[in-house]
Amino acid sequence: MSTKNITCASESGSTFSRTVKAEFAFIALPVSALIAPSAFAVRYLTVDQAQQAIFPAKSFTAAPVKLTSVQRKSIEQASGVRVLHDEQQVWRVSGGGWFIVDEVVGKHEFITYAVGLNADGSVKQIEIMDYRETYGGQIRDQKWRAQFVGKTSKATLKLDRDIKNISGATLSCRHITDGVKRLLAFYEIGLKH
Amino acid sequence: MHHHMKLRVSLATVVLLGVSTAHAHEAIFSWTYTTDLTPKGHGEFEQWVTTRWEKEHGSYSVVDFREEFEYGVTDNFQLAIYLNHHYVNANDDIPVADPAHPKRVLPGVFETGGEDVHAGHNPAKPFDSYHFESVSLEGIYRLLSPYKDPIGLALYFEPSVGDQETELEWKILLQKNWLEDRLVWALNVNYELEYEKEDDGYERDGMFEWFTGLSYRFVSNWSAGLEFWNHHEFADATVHEHSAYFLGPSIHYGGERWWATLGFLHQLPIGQAFSQDNKEFAAHDGYIFGDEHEKYYVRFRVGINF
Repeated sequence: MSTKNITCASESGSTFSRTVKAEFAFIALPVSALIAPSAFAVRYLTVDQAQQAIFPAKSFTAAPVKLTSVQRKSIEQASGVRVLHDEQQVWRVSGGGWFIVDEVVGKHEFITYAVGLNADGSVKQIEIMDYRETYGGQIRDQKWRAQFVGKTSKATLKLDRDIKNISGATLSCRHITDGVKRLLAFYEIGLKH
Repeated sequence: MHHHMKLRVSLATVVLLGVSTAHAHEAIFSWTYTTDLTPKGHGEFEQWVTTRWEKEHGSYSVVDFREEFEYGVTDNFQLAIYLNHHYVNANDDIPVADPAHPKRVLPGVFETGGEDVHAGHNPAKPFDSYHFESVSLEGIYRLLSPYKDPIGLALYFEPSVGDQETELEWKILLQKNWLEDRLVWALNVNYELEYEKEDDGYERDGMFEWFTGLSYRFVSNWSAGLEFWNHHEFADATVHEHSAYFLGPSIHYGGERWWATLGFLHQLPIGQAFSQDNKEFAAHDGYIFGDEHEKYYVRFRVGINF
């Protein structure tokens, strides 16, 4: 995959600051303040790089979406997956399509990934932007990611059914799969119209 | 031992369905096992250090060491081999039997002894020694994964062979996750048979115990939890001697290549002695000491994945 850039919460990263905030929202322990720097991560792809990887030579217009509680509930009902953030980072792609940056819980840290949707709402491509788990680096392999291509909100998107698992990284595979399922429901409810 | 290993490997090979369900065998608890295993073809080295101290009287402290190597034979079957050794420091820690009534204690009189004090040691003198205890072989076979099935389930078998005792241990491991797998609950139900060398043969002991833990990953890489342990001892594996209870917190860090867990257990003063011998010699102020237990336990585990 492409170059490794070290980024941190202060730079380019509403994702990272959101990561920390989301986790603090659960249990705000004083100790968290001491260990928050663990949210600094190795990033395989920046937002720009992920955009170019999925939609080469296109231009992007930021169109973030803030979900209402009704939309949030509808997405959860349609996908069966809990929505952790009210704000969704979305870009409109020139010539049709959407680019979304999202994150899911990994074994140790959040996994940031990008999903490109075609104008009809089907998955064009997914890219793992950062992944720092012990096993399951194959999650970044083109072969594993290719399983999502063409999936729509009607797809099953279940591990071991239409998505293959990776040995040693069941949790990560499961959460990425759930994440894509949730984003496809988000497309239907929050982007399509 | 070798026979068991061969049997388990071939069994697992036959049963294997070619479905990957593994996750890193990372211990988020200090005592309670989860159903997470080392994936096929991967290994892990673990160092355990457990300190346990304080009995009814005097001083008593043990540091248990364990060096473990784990290997994922398949994604659902893990084998481990480990060394058990410890350092013991004891002085005037156990009650003395009344010479006129051997089933009664001599009030206020103590001597040096306990399970980890070498047989033949002069009980009037303090004991301070290191001892290599045993070598253990451990096999864990997972039937259900908590990431894909409603609950995780695994079976555990472990024989240990040492110069003083031989042990066989069976466990049923259960795991249930919530909140995107950040909240983890685990339950272990254990049975252990212990054959200890005596002058005239061996003594058989049975143990039934259960461990349970609840842990939450409160920020990236860090989990904090609570563990509970209830231990039942059976003399000759038949006579119920006592039930002892323990509770304490644990904290865990998990990174890409290594993890570490620190746990503390305090014996709760709600222990019950059932046998006459244990009522007289092991129970004290609600605690159970005897040969088996201490008041405080601290365990540190560190693992390196490769």
